[in-house]
Amino acid sequence: MARLNDDAQWIILMGFLISFSFFFLAIVINQSTVVGQTTAESVIEFPKNDIRDISQTISGSVNLPFPSNETVNQDIVVIALNRKNAVVSYTIIQPAPPSDVHSHAVIHYNNGVTEYNENWTSL
Amino acid sequence: MRLIGRNSRGRTTGSPVRADYRALSHFGTGSHRGPGRVNCDGQLYTIEGIAAALLMIMTAYLVVNATSVYTAGDTHISDMQLEQMGSDALKIMDTPLVENEKSPLQEIVENPGSVNNATFGSMFLDLTNLKTNSGSDHIQYTANYTCRIHPGNEIASYPLSYSRNLTLGEHAVRVTKWVTVNKGAAAFCGTTNTERAVLVEVLMWRD
Repeated sequence: MARLNDDAQWIILMGFLISFSFFFLAIVINQSTVVGQTTAESVIEFPKNDIRDISQTISGSVNLPFPSNETVNQDIVVIALNRKNAVVSYTIIQPAPPSDVHSHAVIHYNNGVTEYNENWTSL
Repeated sequence: MRLIGRNSRGRTTGSPVRADYRALSHFGTGSHRGPGRVNCDGQLYTIEGIAAALLMIMTAYLVVNATSVYTAGDTHISDMQLEQMGSDALKIMDTPLVENEKSPLQEIVENPGSVNNATFGSMFLDLTNLKTNSGSDHIQYTANYTCRIHPGNEIASYPLSYSRNLTLGEHAVRVTKWVTVNKGAAAFCGTTNTERAVLVEVLMWRD
C-alpha cells in the first residue's frame, strides 16, 4: 500500500471550494437558457392581442340595433370557441337616461390558461 | 481504516504531524483498546472517496440534464416578435383612413373578389416586409376569414389572399383580427342588412 501522507489538506480543501463554486456557476448558466425559453413562451401564450381585439370589437358593437346585436353576439361566441379556443361571453347594458347615460359591456374571456373579465363603460 | 492504522503504527518513521494525530487519538479514545479504536488516519482516502462520488453524480446530472434543453430560447423570441408585428399590421389595416368610413380590411372582407386579393397582399406585405434601411424582409403569409353561417352554430372559412402556397413545412405563427362587416342588401353568411363579426386569420412565416 502507498504510504499515506496527509499533509497539504488545506490545499485540497481549497481545491474543493473552487470546484464547488465552478459547479454551481455551471448550474446557473445551464438554467439561463431555460429561463429565456419559458419567458418567451409565456409571452406568446398570454393572449394580449386577442383580449384587446375582442374588447375593442365588443365595445364597438354596443350601439347596434336589436337584430344585429344578437347576431354579432352569437358570431363572436361561436367563432371564438371554434377558431380561438376561447370561451367568450358578454352582456351589453343599454343606458337608462335619467340615472345613467352610459352604455356598459360586461365581458368575460377564458381560454383555459388566461381568464379576463372587463366592465366596459362608454364615454 | 484499522488496517491502515496498524500499518502506520508499525513504522518507525513518520511525520511529526501524524505522530501528533496518533497521540491525540490515543488520548481521546483511551478507554477503547483493541480492534474498535478510532484514529484520524485515512482522511485523504475519505476525501478522495467523496470527490469521486461527487464527480460521478455531477457527470450523471449534466448528461441527464443536457437532453432536456433541446430548443434555444431565441426561436421563441423571434416567433413572439413576428406575431406582434403581424398583429400590429392587421390592426393598421382595420383602421379607417377617414373617420366613419370603412377600413381597408372591412372592404377587403366585404368584397374579396378573386381568391388572391391583391389589395390585402400589397398592404400586408408593405406593412410587414419594409425596413428602414435598404432591402426588405422575407415574410410570407396566407390569409383567410371565418364567419358563422346564420342561423346556427356552424362556421365556414374562406380564403382571402396568399403570397406562397403552404407546404406545411413552414415554421408559421398565427395572428387574428376581429372585423365587423356589413354588406347591406347583398347576402353574407346567411344574412342581409346586418352587421356581422368575422375573424380574419393570417399565417405568417419567414422564407
